[in-house]
Amino acid sequence: MIAYLVTIAILVCVAALVGLALNLQWGLAGLVNFGVVGFVAIGAYATALLAPYVGWLPAMLVAAALSAILSAGLALLSIRLEENYLAIVTIGFGEVVRLVILNEDWLTHGALGIADIPRPFATLGQAVGGDTVFIVFALALVALVFCLLEAMARSPFGRVLRAIRDDATVTAALGKNVFALRVRAFAVGGAVMAIAGALHAFYLTYIDPGQFTPIVTAYAFMAVIAGGRGSNVGLLIGACSIMALLEGTRFLKDFVTVIDGVQLSALRLGLIGAGIVLLLILRPQGIASEPKRRAADLLHDMGEDR
Amino acid sequence: MAAQLFFNGLVTGLLLALPALALTLIFGVLKFANFAVGAMLTLGAYAAWVANVQFGAPLVGSAAIAAVTVAGAGLLADQFAFERLRQRGSITLLVASMGVSLVIENVCRFFFGNASRGFDVALSRPIRWQGVRINQEQITIAITVVVCLVLVDALLRFTPLGRAMRAVADNAALAAVRGVERRAIARLTWALVGALLGLAGVLAGLDRSIDPLIGWNYQIAIFAAAILGGLGSPIGAVLGALTIGVAEEMSALVIPTNYRQVVSFAVILALLLFRANGLLGAKAARK
Repeated sequence: MIAYLVTIAILVCVAALVGLALNLQWGLAGLVNFGVVGFVAIGAYATALLAPYVGWLPAMLVAAALSAILSAGLALLSIRLEENYLAIVTIGFGEVVRLVILNEDWLTHGALGIADIPRPFATLGQAVGGDTVFIVFALALVALVFCLLEAMARSPFGRVLRAIRDDATVTAALGKNVFALRVRAFAVGGAVMAIAGALHAFYLTYIDPGQFTPIVTAYAFMAVIAGGRGSNVGLLIGACSIMALLEGTRFLKDFVTVIDGVQLSALRLGLIGAGIVLLLILRPQGIASEPKRRAADLLHDMGEDR
Repeated sequence: MAAQLFFNGLVTGLLLALPALALTLIFGVLKFANFAVGAMLTLGAYAAWVANVQFGAPLVGSAAIAAVTVAGAGLLADQFAFERLRQRGSITLLVASMGVSLVIENVCRFFFGNASRGFDVALSRPIRWQGVRINQEQITIAITVVVCLVLVDALLRFTPLGRAMRAVADNAALAAVRGVERRAIARLTWALVGALLGLAGVLAGLDRSIDPLIGWNYQIAIFAAAILGGLGSPIGAVLGALTIGVAEEMSALVIPTNYRQVVSFAVILALLLFRANGLLGAKAARK
């Protein structure tokens, strides 16, 4: 039972990181990214390939930088596009990443995946026993990223991103470089997704292409919608509880014998889909709506459902 | 070799034409990109499979059942999801369509599992013509799609419904002033689009084995086709589908076949960079 809880806690941490990243891109800056899983996979693979040689921290940082660069590149190419097109370009990117991972055996070992990824603080972890040290590490990572992104959301950078989301034309007229700001938001999001991928790789110590399906993207969207777009606190509280519930059903198969594992996972994913639609309809502002800050208080008619 | 690939490409293109047309019609009338096209295609394939294999219906009858089933699913999705979110703008709608896509795909997975399935059709010897091998399935696909395209074209051009659809796509407010009811047109569009996707699912099931990801595997190619033709342009979607089909198959001459899907992605990127409006119409760049 304890092992289950530990697994759930770590998966929730990974999901929270991905959610925080998407919350910056989509919640704050209004940029749809359906290729989330691609960036997570890049982070996981870059970390897995580098960690044995350079150590976990440099590997993770390089992974984040790599993902940020690719993310910025994709954004440079496509962010001027209207959201429908941005959405399909990002989906395409995710699929390309999947194909490369699956087919470039010399680098990624294809479908076999990469095993024996060293964990951070492995010796300390063994001394203490169990996954205690790793959980502390995961929680610290989430806390760190949360603080950084929250500070970013409160900074002038976050403010101008919200302004762009609500009305890009007005923001441009005020002299802001909308294009460059969007690219930066996308790059930061990409870096955080890579860190989530790194945490995933560290925990499982084994990665293969099957772990990185579009479902990761769906989870992230569910998390952001449930938590309240633009609200990092809402994301952590709301999304984590929902993620925990959904992940919890993974272990139902030990108790329920009427339906098999495939059906259970289908049920879980179908529920996520239904949840996305229902939350959009019934509670578009999420569990904790985006905190309105001073200027916004004066302008009540500024719609926040966009 | 090249001739064979070109021919295969044309058939793949025809297969893509129906879902690309469906995508573009929804975009034209309802103004959002429906990411559930792939999943609806999957649903069509499974509906026909149930009728064909489990109930022993002939393939034509199964195809009709698939068309009706997916049309029904489209109407349900419209009624319970998309119509309620209509005022929230296209981003919300496209995220919602992703949710709908997950629901449909996993309903199929729940009932039928991940196993690959196939229709109960007699194996037949391919025809050889000028050194090109032509399968019976390819002939069926080509004829069905061409007939569908002619019918849809006639519908859009000559019938009151087609005129009304084009009017709503062009300017919904003006159409409303002239007494065209948007809601009714939206429903009829969903029914038509559902039928097209259902048929496309059956044809896809003839072409390859049926599994829960059959539609998802076409998704990027479908979008590439519709974007190539300019989202919202029916003729453009068909031309785009043929181009993408041929490009994907012919790419086997220069790149490993594992990377076939990358072709569609590259086409989308190149197109959006150099000709953001597609070949025929539609605006892609934002203000």
